[in-house]
Parts: sequence; C-alpha cells; structure tokens
Amino acid sequence: MLKKNNRGNRRPKKKVCAFCADKAETIDYKDVSKLRKYISERGKILPRRVSGNCAKHQRELTVAIKRARNIALLPFTTE
Amino acid sequence: MKKYETLFVLNPSLDEEAIKANIEKFKGIIEQDGTVTNVDEWGKRRLAYEINDLTEGYYVLINFEANPELPKELDRIFRISDTILRHLIINLEEK
Repeated sequence: MLKKNNRGNRRPKKKVCAFCADKAETIDYKDVSKLRKYISERGKILPRRVSGNCAKHQRELTVAIKRARNIALLPFTTE
Repeated sequence: MKKYETLFVLNPSLDEEAIKANIEKFKGIIEQDGTVTNVDEWGKRRLAYEINDLTEGYYVLINFEANPELPKELDRIFRISDTILRHLIINLEEK
C-alpha cells in the first residue's frame, strides 16, 4: 500500500506562502532583493504553483514587480 | 491630505548642482500644496535595462502628503521634464 503511493501520484509537500509566514502587510516594490526571488531567470514572474504564495499575496506581488519594472529596478526580459 | 510616495530617476550625466536643483524644483512643486515628509536620495544605481542608451540612473525617493490634485500635476511636470528618465507616484493609503 505504501509502496504504491510512492510510485504513483507523488504529491509534493504543501508550500506555505512566505508573505503570510512573515506577516507582511504590504509588498514593497523597492525591495528588489526580495522581489528577485519571485522572478525567473528570464525575468518572468513565477507562477503561484512554483512560488507557493497565497492568492492575496501573489496579487500584491505582481503589482510590486510591475512597478519595479516600470522604474527600471527589475528587468522586463533578460537575454 | 493623503500620503503619497514618488520615486523618480534622473539623468546621471547631470552634475551635482543640477541634480540638487532638480530635487529642489520637485520639492518646491509638492510644497505648493502639500508637505514633504521625507527625501531619500538613493544615488546612482544600475538600471535593469537601458533607457536612452544609459545604463545608470540617479534615484530619488520623496514621501509627501497632499491633496489628490497634486499627484496629477506632479505627473504632468515629470512627463515634460527631460531630466527625468522614469517616474512613479504611489498612493500609500490605497489597499
């Protein structure tokens, strides 16, 4: 029974939203080092299934990243 | 009065005096109808992407309180200032 579970649908450990854990109230667009953790190598925003953020914080995060991009703190794309 | 924050990027090729004059100019515009609570000069920073063939920018952050009409006017002035590479005005109370 246990063996079968391991072989079959292996479910990864449930991730907890980093911002909820921090009890962060707002996500600051100026905090580049923090935002960098949530963009891919090409500069794309990581999806929720990868980052493990909750919906609320993911929404705030996208706004923060887009603001940072606008003011050239983060890249839109990288070669 | 609402709390706002503005971050703008000045052309780094300006000399120190010109940068000071620019910051004073924008502070003056805010103070016509509001109060500046904090000015934070980040100084020269690498841009994440090139703007007009420039790789660096001079970042300045200003926190201020003002009535809702002021950011509009400030935005208009930022747009017509050719020393400004990028600017952003944010309402800090918006949630």
